[in-house]
Amino acid sequence: MSGLERVLAAVRRTGTRVPAVPQIFGHAARTGGVPLRRYLTDPAALARCQVAAMEHYATDAVFALFDASVETEALGSRLRFPGDSYPIIERYILERASDVARLPLPDPRRAGRMPVALEAVRLLRCEAGDRALVAGCVLGPMTLACQLMGAEPALFAAIDETAAFEQVLDFSVELALCFGTAQLEAGAHLCIVFEPSASPAVVPPAFFRGLLKPRLRRLCEGLKRQGALASWLHIAGPVEPILPYYRDCAVEIANLDYCVDPVRARAAAPDLCLAGNIRPMAFLDSGPEVITEACAQVLREAGQGFLLSSGCEIPLDARPECVHALVRAVRP
Amino acid sequence: MSSASHADSPLLEPLISMLMDGDTEAALLEARRVRAAGAAGPTEVVRALEAAMDRMSCKCTAEQFNLLEIMLAGRTVTAVAHDTFPEGSVPSTRGTVVIATPQGDVHDLGKNLTRMVLATKGFRVVDCGKDCPAPVMIQAVAREDAFALLVSGLISPVVPLVRQLRGLLRERGLSAVRLLAGGAALQQCSAEALNVDFVAGDAFECARYLEGLKADRP
Repeated sequence: MSGLERVLAAVRRTGTRVPAVPQIFGHAARTGGVPLRRYLTDPAALARCQVAAMEHYATDAVFALFDASVETEALGSRLRFPGDSYPIIERYILERASDVARLPLPDPRRAGRMPVALEAVRLLRCEAGDRALVAGCVLGPMTLACQLMGAEPALFAAIDETAAFEQVLDFSVELALCFGTAQLEAGAHLCIVFEPSASPAVVPPAFFRGLLKPRLRRLCEGLKRQGALASWLHIAGPVEPILPYYRDCAVEIANLDYCVDPVRARAAAPDLCLAGNIRPMAFLDSGPEVITEACAQVLREAGQGFLLSSGCEIPLDARPECVHALVRAVRP
Repeated sequence: MSSASHADSPLLEPLISMLMDGDTEAALLEARRVRAAGAAGPTEVVRALEAAMDRMSCKCTAEQFNLLEIMLAGRTVTAVAHDTFPEGSVPSTRGTVVIATPQGDVHDLGKNLTRMVLATKGFRVVDCGKDCPAPVMIQAVAREDAFALLVSGLISPVVPLVRQLRGLLRERGLSAVRLLAGGAALQQCSAEALNVDFVAGDAFECARYLEGLKADRP
């Protein structure tokens, strides 16, 4: 059984071996000896590092995932790459929510680093084929709104200028569908919808239900129509209060952060494939024995339909022996 | 000060509710009415501000914390505080703290909320901003005679900088300064792993820790 087949079996809840899908993004640059900025701007470097990490750690997935600024950069926000770190937005493209009416949808083949992302997907699929899941990524509407305006102005706009803010959310869905479709055409098996700003730590569950749920449904269903093999929603933090809405969002794989109890999550969303939930910083500040114990516990508790993963991104400078420990938990 | 200590002020309940709801316009009008009602007006407004923050704090411990609601309440609290004390904010009676988001991290929502909560509770807060180098934080602590340094980090690459802060404070003869950390990445770590005195789960937990420290000080 290939990594891709293991993941899809977990989604269908028919698998016998839990897939190992640690969220290795920029950490692959570290293990590959490539400066992060090059990894984030050179599709060949990203693809080479991802495949090397997959083979080294024997994981079941590769990720064409750059940073949370690809979309906003493509629309005209100005970035800065500080040292060997993820980029920082220096100037947001939207000063006011209502300005979104002037923003054209970008062409993924030309705008900013979107072509870099598409080429990375193509190279990854060429290299990994169907041996492993090839995951692309789009930002969810709330997260993209925050990346277009800045988090604080976006959150205030959501309350003070709700109608204009909803236009930003709708524009963000259209952009995600456009960029996601291009990634699927380039060879991604699915696109993770990365939506940390929709976390109940940021906005109340009623906000999620009213403003975000219908848009996430439109996005997830749209990506499935374009050929995604599954829909994967990635929201970090304490998601338990919104998990019951995921089914209405057409979500099939739900990320679980370290602070979410897998037993309660399973009760809240019995039909979902869950992915998580090892504490990300444990890969940095703990030994492999801590990871082994945490994996054993979550594997006991999560039930059928589960991807063993970190609760969020594996830290850039994670201890490799800790990543090995996660994989060994399902591949003795 | 706990929320129970405000229970004997039913006349302040409308203002407290408006503050918690983030209804700035109504809260400003009500605060002006309270101030005009008597000589103790500004003091009463401060009591209402503290009560609103205390009740938000209780919501946090009940696991209902979300940034948006706290931000909205915070915006209203700040507006009322500025309207009541045009020369500054709530009078600082609890000492000075320095707060920053470390270099490499520009996510400053948590820092800004913490600054607001602490200022409302009577701390003088010196904000070094986001993407802040360690030497800038240390200089601010020395210059402002702060008794605590607070760092808020959302992403893991800031951990090495946080771990250095204790040594840098010691080099400047500031060993007595308390070091606190918070934010999505840092709150996953133990105080020992970060080489700090305390890791706060949220802004209110940070405030409670600092209030406890002040109570312990001579």
